[in-house]
Amino acid sequence: MGELKYELSQNAYIKLVLHARKHKTAAVNGVLLGRVSPQNDAVVEIADSVPLFHSHLGLLPNLEISLIMIEEHYSAQGLGIVGYFHANERFDDLELDSIAKNIGNHICRYFPQCAVLLLDNKKLEALPKGKDRSPVMQLYIRDASKNWKLVGSDGGCQLLTKEPAANVVLMDYISSEKWQDVVDFDDHLDDISKDWLNPDLFK
Amino acid sequence: MVTKTEETQLNRLENQVDNGGGGAWEYLCLVKKLKVRRPDKVLRHGLSILNDPKKRSALGPDVWTLYEQVSIAAMDCQCLDVAKDCIKVLQKQFPESKRVGRLEGILLEAKGLWAEAEKAYSSLLEDNPLDPVLHKRRVAIAKAQGNFPTAIEWLNKYLETFMADHDAWRELAEIYVSLQMYKQAAFCYEELILSQPTVPLYHLAYADVLYTLGGVENILLAKKYYASAIDLTGGKNTKALFGICLCSSAIAQLTKGRNKEDKESPELQSLAAAALEKDYKQRAPAKLLLLTSALKSLKTS
Repeated sequence: MGELKYELSQNAYIKLVLHARKHKTAAVNGVLLGRVSPQNDAVVEIADSVPLFHSHLGLLPNLEISLIMIEEHYSAQGLGIVGYFHANERFDDLELDSIAKNIGNHICRYFPQCAVLLLDNKKLEALPKGKDRSPVMQLYIRDASKNWKLVGSDGGCQLLTKEPAANVVLMDYISSEKWQDVVDFDDHLDDISKDWLNPDLFK
Repeated sequence: MVTKTEETQLNRLENQVDNGGGGAWEYLCLVKKLKVRRPDKVLRHGLSILNDPKKRSALGPDVWTLYEQVSIAAMDCQCLDVAKDCIKVLQKQFPESKRVGRLEGILLEAKGLWAEAEKAYSSLLEDNPLDPVLHKRRVAIAKAQGNFPTAIEWLNKYLETFMADHDAWRELAEIYVSLQMYKQAAFCYEELILSQPTVPLYHLAYADVLYTLGGVENILLAKKYYASAIDLTGGKNTKALFGICLCSSAIAQLTKGRNKEDKESPELQSLAAAALEKDYKQRAPAKLLLLTSALKSLKTS
């Protein structure tokens, strides 16, 4: 795998963190939508994200339905599923579990440069105290032997937010409790009038 | 586990209390009855009663259960000082109480002092070996430390004695699913369906697990349980309707090339698809095109 740069749009980033914040006591996940940059094929642009579930992450049926509908919707915009987001149940758990790896593997079949992002709660908690501009997530990439490896700061690949002030906006939304408005696919399946596209979230 | 009506009622009451319309005590009782987890609201509204001497005395003997409820909510919100104060009040009123002893144990847990909490529960268990809450707190300690094998072992042991504890069976099933131990999760849901056969949630979860396990036998069985979930919910459960479509598609894929007589009749899938389309047309018209195309891809795959 070359030296890829993963550029995460502010809205995609904030949506995922707010989703995790909404369901503090559960593991949550989501998918990343994007494409390889037409100007530079060493850059993957993550344009949007869809929060998926906050219960029974390890069960297939809802995941399959959600991926079919999400892929269908975004392909019209020239975007595909380029990665997966996972937030563990426990605060200090930074282990990528088998569910995350399996879903990552599945996405790799269609997009080999798939990125798996894991929420780093300690980093999130420390945000108000510092001026950290980097995303509060760990980046995992699959290596040549198909193992998921954590990308360190010295690694070739990079994860950054497209907008440098994304964390400031994120903290603002968290303090105004914006996370209450996030709708995920679980919510949609419980009540289909709820829109997993979250069209009005950032208005 | 809460029904939609109960949730609407709770949210309405919550809105009312949040906006100064009164009804705090009713809200707190409903939260307790439904066993939902709303620690920040319970803390705020509970304290508004406890900090007002008139409101406190109006509760009579119920005030002690309110102290207990607020102390647990405080711990859930990491407001440990508030929790400590509530527990102190209870200790004064009920010295030597085992129930207050439990709260002290939970406070140790909230502080992350796992070994001390364990010790506290073990000693309480010596005098109360059949207290279900103490047993479950020990499972919670194991789970909080990420020690799943121990959590599973203790939860299984607990269920040997308290086999009617549905919440415990559900907790065990969810732990198994999170570890991708689907066969074991299936067993838990089988127990739940046996003891509460009219709860659609269990049929749905069981079907989801069977589908995830895969293989023609499991998926055929999953289809039956999605169907019974549809039956029990009057055809209104979206997940079950999707489940039928997924199963039919999977079975068609797995039995390609087999004898035509073995194939399933397509009526159930068509009915499910039609029900979904009708519902989306009415309540989520913006998503109807997506739905139709998704159902089409399931039919042709």
